[in-house]
Amino acid sequence: MKASFLLVPAATLAIISPAHAKVFMSIEQAQQLMFPGATLTAQPMTLTDAQAKAVESASNANVLNRNLSIWRVSTGGWFIADEVVGKHEFIPIAVGLDASGAVKDIEILEYREAYGSEVRNPQWRAQFTGKRNGAKLTLTDDIQNISGATLSSKHITDGVRRLLATYAIAIASH
Amino acid sequence: MRTWRVALASAGLLAGLCAHASADEPLFGFVYTTDLLPKGSYEVEQWLTTRYEKAHGGFSLFENRTEVSYGLTDSLQVSGYLIYDWTQAHHNAPDGTTVAPEQFSDYFPGPDDNFNKWKFIGVAGEVIWRVMSPYTDPVGLAFYFEPTLGNRFQEFEVRGIVQKNWLDDRLVLAANLTWAPEIRYLPPNPYADPGSVEASRNVNIETDLNLGAGLSYRFAPNWSVGWEVQNEREVNGWAVFARSQWMGNAYYMGPTIHYADQHFFATLTAWEQMPWANNYMDSSVIYKGRDYDVDFEKYRARLKIGYYFGGSE
Repeated sequence: MKASFLLVPAATLAIISPAHAKVFMSIEQAQQLMFPGATLTAQPMTLTDAQAKAVESASNANVLNRNLSIWRVSTGGWFIADEVVGKHEFIPIAVGLDASGAVKDIEILEYREAYGSEVRNPQWRAQFTGKRNGAKLTLTDDIQNISGATLSSKHITDGVRRLLATYAIAIASH
Repeated sequence: MRTWRVALASAGLLAGLCAHASADEPLFGFVYTTDLLPKGSYEVEQWLTTRYEKAHGGFSLFENRTEVSYGLTDSLQVSGYLIYDWTQAHHNAPDGTTVAPEQFSDYFPGPDDNFNKWKFIGVAGEVIWRVMSPYTDPVGLAFYFEPTLGNRFQEFEVRGIVQKNWLDDRLVLAANLTWAPEIRYLPPNPYADPGSVEASRNVNIETDLNLGAGLSYRFAPNWSVGWEVQNEREVNGWAVFARSQWMGNAYYMGPTIHYADQHFFATLTAWEQMPWANNYMDSSVIYKGRDYDVDFEKYRARLKIGYYFGGSE
């Protein structure tokens, strides 16, 4: 009698298969896409306690990792690789800044969530182009929300705002 | 028997074959959050809830639920599911007799019977409407409506859900207030006193009023741990504010662990009833501070597994 109860859970379990992360591009590919032909020189740095606090205060976003993965671009500007909190895992992103510190481009390097991959949409990412430290960069304000991808949209927006503050406080004078 | 077997297996397989789904992953076993499926997404979920240990004797109840959910819009999710239970009870009542749990209250085992039964409880629908999102509003707010239709049983569950997030949405606090009237059409109880209501066909109406809360923290990618607590009150009839109709009042709490990746999630919660219970109508069901009436037991554990189809590609 009881065996019949096992049929539905078994049928449900039968469809489960391992998940795979979707890697869209490597850091090197993103660098070439944002700064074609330029030479990028790694200049890793670590935020001091004071700098981290200043970044958090200026951006109203948490600094999750004080170790910065940054590259100086031979033609002017900076390339930053970072991560923001996703629904289940971190979302690796890359932000390119021009010589004046304005956003040149952002890329989603990898996306491991079940939904919300619309954040890769070029039109959505284009909203960040030209933004500088001090810009609002707030979801549902100057950055449109992607309905159904709200958490990813919010954390990428917060992450770019934090990185622009990081540039102003720690990278520009580096 | 064969009919049920085929129906249940078919439902599970149909659920599994639905294409293009996503997730409203549950961080908690019992407490609901305001997260919903995005528009056009599907998900299949299987719940296994075990409830066991009474004041005396042997008792276990397995509540099973197979569910398919769909995001009608980004803030409106609908679900349909099947509920089917199995129980074993022997000398489990506070007075040492055998009594069936509430889900099997249309069965009347003899006082010394070893009661062992499975039952298809019913078919349920569920609508969750999110009014505010915890990601873009100060708090999340949603309302939940769930009618259940079964053989000799009807229930309508209404729930308010509040959610607040901190620490980049990795720390989640959720609270639920649930109102759930239940109607049972019961056959005559052959062991009831002749002339009593239970000795003939009767309609039993009971209202559950639950207040639950959960706190969850995502301590590593894919993994969250948390703690859930719930106060469960039962009222005879509809009038939840009529003190003379109050019955059980029990508290449960315990840890929860949750794993989720791109397509799969699992949540396991274990609860123990705290020795703080009251039964205003029948104090004989209280033993060492815990309520052991037909809808209460010492331990509960729930496993939820789910799968979202499609993906981010």
